[in-house]
Amino acid sequence: MTQALILNLVVEKIRSTINEDWIHDYEIDLETRFNEDLEIESIEFVKIANAIQQHYGDRLNIAAWLSGKSINELIGLNVGQLVDYIETQTEPQ
Amino acid sequence: MANILFTAPPLVGHLNPALAVAKHLQSQGHVVAWAVHMDRVGNRMDPAMRCFDIGQFDPAGELDSTKVRGLESVRLFFEDYCVPMTRACFRPILNIINEFKPDVLVVDHQMPAGALAAQAAGLPWVSLVTTTASILKLSDTLDEWVSAQFASLQNELLPAELHRARPDLSPHAVLVFSNQQLMGNLNQCLPAPYVFVGPTQGEGRAAVAFPWEKLKTGTRKVLLTLGTVSRDRDTRFFEVFLQAFAQIPDVQAVVVAPESLAELAPANVIVSPFVPQMELLPHMDAVVCHAGHNTVCEGLRFGIPLGVAPIRDDQPVIARQVIDAGAGISIRFGKVTPAAALHTLNELLDNPVYRQAAQELATHFAHTTGAQGAAQHIERLMNDTEMSTPK
Repeated sequence: MTQALILNLVVEKIRSTINEDWIHDYEIDLETRFNEDLEIESIEFVKIANAIQQHYGDRLNIAAWLSGKSINELIGLNVGQLVDYIETQTEPQ
Repeated sequence: MANILFTAPPLVGHLNPALAVAKHLQSQGHVVAWAVHMDRVGNRMDPAMRCFDIGQFDPAGELDSTKVRGLESVRLFFEDYCVPMTRACFRPILNIINEFKPDVLVVDHQMPAGALAAQAAGLPWVSLVTTTASILKLSDTLDEWVSAQFASLQNELLPAELHRARPDLSPHAVLVFSNQQLMGNLNQCLPAPYVFVGPTQGEGRAAVAFPWEKLKTGTRKVLLTLGTVSRDRDTRFFEVFLQAFAQIPDVQAVVVAPESLAELAPANVIVSPFVPQMELLPHMDAVVCHAGHNTVCEGLRFGIPLGVAPIRDDQPVIARQVIDAGAGISIRFGKVTPAAALHTLNELLDNPVYRQAAQELATHFAHTTGAQGAAQHIERLMNDTEMSTPK
């Protein structure tokens, strides 16, 4: 699956989960950070992750992927890193 | 009667609850003294209490920056503030202990130097907790990281047999200025002997002037405050709300903000850099705040619905507690628009569900005893001959 398609899906899940006026106008790209740019708190991130997980099914385990990250990695987490993770997990075997 | 040494970081939100407890203990005849940064908080101290100066401390980072958000602010709080302050304050507090000879220390949870010094001196200490975010297991990654910070501090300052997993939480008593109903059960607590005493009633705070004659009767009122740390940093949030308040001229607002914003304020808004918050709250129909723990608990004690716009540190956790309890509405600090602000204000004022949930919490807060209960608990502990420092 191409990176652009995955990015579109992630952006759509972020927008539909947050669903406030500003998020629909906010430009989200690979560099957008969840913490600093989007002001997304952990419980909202979990909802977004669940929505993405539901789309891809068992191929993803976002919770396990996150648990391997250090506090600094979690702070700087951006959309591109999540897209990369999805891309590697959904590559044809 | 006992000698009791208090210590807290030079932050108003930590100092105020401790001052209230100290005042009650002093009124019972105990000799209360403080170990504080006099250059920072000397003007807030009670002249009737002895104050020992810890000395100067200049944190490496700007604690008041609204640019640093969420988890990153928690990391910076430890790395740039809490850890270096513990290193700087440990020996000065030990010296103060040698001079004052306290029977017990009362230590703010974010002043671990006090707890480590008590350990080193073989004295018991009681922890004061000014935010329930600090006692909750939030994530394994964060909890392990915090424990590692404390471990490295103790390696430097204490012999191995005195090390504790969380020296910020006393094994004798941890007094929490909140209640369990607000805290909810989303997260488990770290193990410690908690006593939930609820918010203080503002005892011991320095008096603040306010233009009471400007406060109208018969109109609904909103208090907007971002607390003492973030107040002066970022005016966008205030400007957005001033525009929203201009749309509802029949509502009066008190905005705690720099004086410079007064010229932007519509006629129904009073701008003041400091307010007597405890005296103002009973007049309010809604509060918009940064989800600072003290403001949230004080507002809910009066059953007031809250708009919560968390900025940093523990604030996202406390805001989540308010939302989950149904007593408020979430506001995204950096993203809020005048239209969203107006919608939030109208909901808080007109939709009864938020007030009902806030009043439900208020009935639980009514059973808490605040600073007086905290003081009585400390007295009971001191009378308990079992109280000794665990080895």
